[in-house]
Amino acid sequence: MRNIIKVIIVLSLLLSISSIASSQCKNFVKKHCLADLEPFVYDGQLNSAILTEGDIAELLLTLYAGQDYRILVCGQEILGDIEFNLFDTNRNLIFSNKDHDFTTNWDFKSNSTQQLIVQVIVPKQESSSSMLHNGCIAILKGFKE
Amino acid sequence: MITKALLFSVSFGLIILFYSCNSNTDEYNNSDNDILLDSNDVNNDHQKKVKMIFYNIPSPLEMATILQETVGDYNSEILNSFNVYNKYTTNKKIALNLGVYGADLSYTRMFDQIQASVNYLSSIKKLSDNLGIPQNDGSFTVSRIEENIDNRDSILIIISETYATADAYLKESGRGSTAALIIIGGWVEALYIATNILKEKNDVNKEILNRIAEQKYSLENLVELSKSYENDDINEFIPQLEELQECFDKIEITYTKGEVITDEINKITTIKSKINIDVSYETVNEIGIIVERIRSSIIE
Repeated sequence: MRNIIKVIIVLSLLLSISSIASSQCKNFVKKHCLADLEPFVYDGQLNSAILTEGDIAELLLTLYAGQDYRILVCGQEILGDIEFNLFDTNRNLIFSNKDHDFTTNWDFKSNSTQQLIVQVIVPKQESSSSMLHNGCIAILKGFKE
Repeated sequence: MITKALLFSVSFGLIILFYSCNSNTDEYNNSDNDILLDSNDVNNDHQKKVKMIFYNIPSPLEMATILQETVGDYNSEILNSFNVYNKYTTNKKIALNLGVYGADLSYTRMFDQIQASVNYLSSIKKLSDNLGIPQNDGSFTVSRIEENIDNRDSILIIISETYATADAYLKESGRGSTAALIIIGGWVEALYIATNILKEKNDVNKEILNRIAEQKYSLENLVELSKSYENDDINEFIPQLEELQECFDKIEITYTKGEVITDEINKITTIKSKINIDVSYETVNEIGIIVERIRSSIIE
């Protein structure tokens, strides 16, 4: 009986941790990321997740001809310098923030409408610890009229 | 001892489970979205696994700005009436029509239709309340709307904040599928408005034709987004969206990679690629008929 109670407690704790982590991720984005999109208008779609070092995430988006866009990749400090790359659908590299001191945001303009891929890479950290770091990452898009 | 081992196994299993889960959605089919990239494409390492793919679909607001230069005269007849919000009582219908009203509001804003904008904002507030979305940042207070209603830019920000709050709240409370339904409703309504603008024009307007044709890309993302959820309310749209996709497949868009110019000082990259769009009026007309059918099932 005592063991069943222990299992229930562990389960409840883990559920709480998961829920808190998710909520904290959204709060992190609201507090630390959205302001960097200004003066662009946030498109309202929150693409965020808890990622672990070495993880890769991608966002498929369409840039419309003549519109100005800002792409913002925002990650928690514990994850280090987040790399973000922009590819066309043929995987031709258009932009890499590695060439720009790992800046978290960059503006784009295309003279024709096209589908692009934003790729985000969480760096592997050189640490003697076997524990992998994880943290919140968000990919946000802003546009101008 | 065995019990302790069992307890450890269960706990460990749960930890692995939680850490492998997508953090922000309940029914998001995460594992199905994992893809393998060829190492040559991206870097020199061995194959790296993409953990998560997000799909970005233009919000109703963005769709309206895309069409902004192509619009004709204001026509309230093509919009879903703002005062029928009461008939939407299920989670699915409320979410879809929250998206529809977002597109309609963006349209009224584009034409500086102040009273109509107030009416749509009020209906959006009611639908948001019915979905249990809190508006605790004050963006939705009647006074704020009234104070800013004659300012197009302020309305733009209110709309953006409203839909951003809804999207974030729904995703963080494990209702990502509801957020996706808002996107579907908004996209369908915006495309419906665009095809109607085209119909109203007496001559074939190449600019509008191209803008509609370019939605081929967003539709691909929308279909993928819909497939990524194991949710009946969303999945029932897949056959309809695929039918629409078949029609869009008749449109040929050829892309030629062009020069990429990066301005370090202003932190801006300009992509000078070229596309050629081969689209006929008949195809767009066909798209209009399918969109009208999907839209009818949403607003009925």
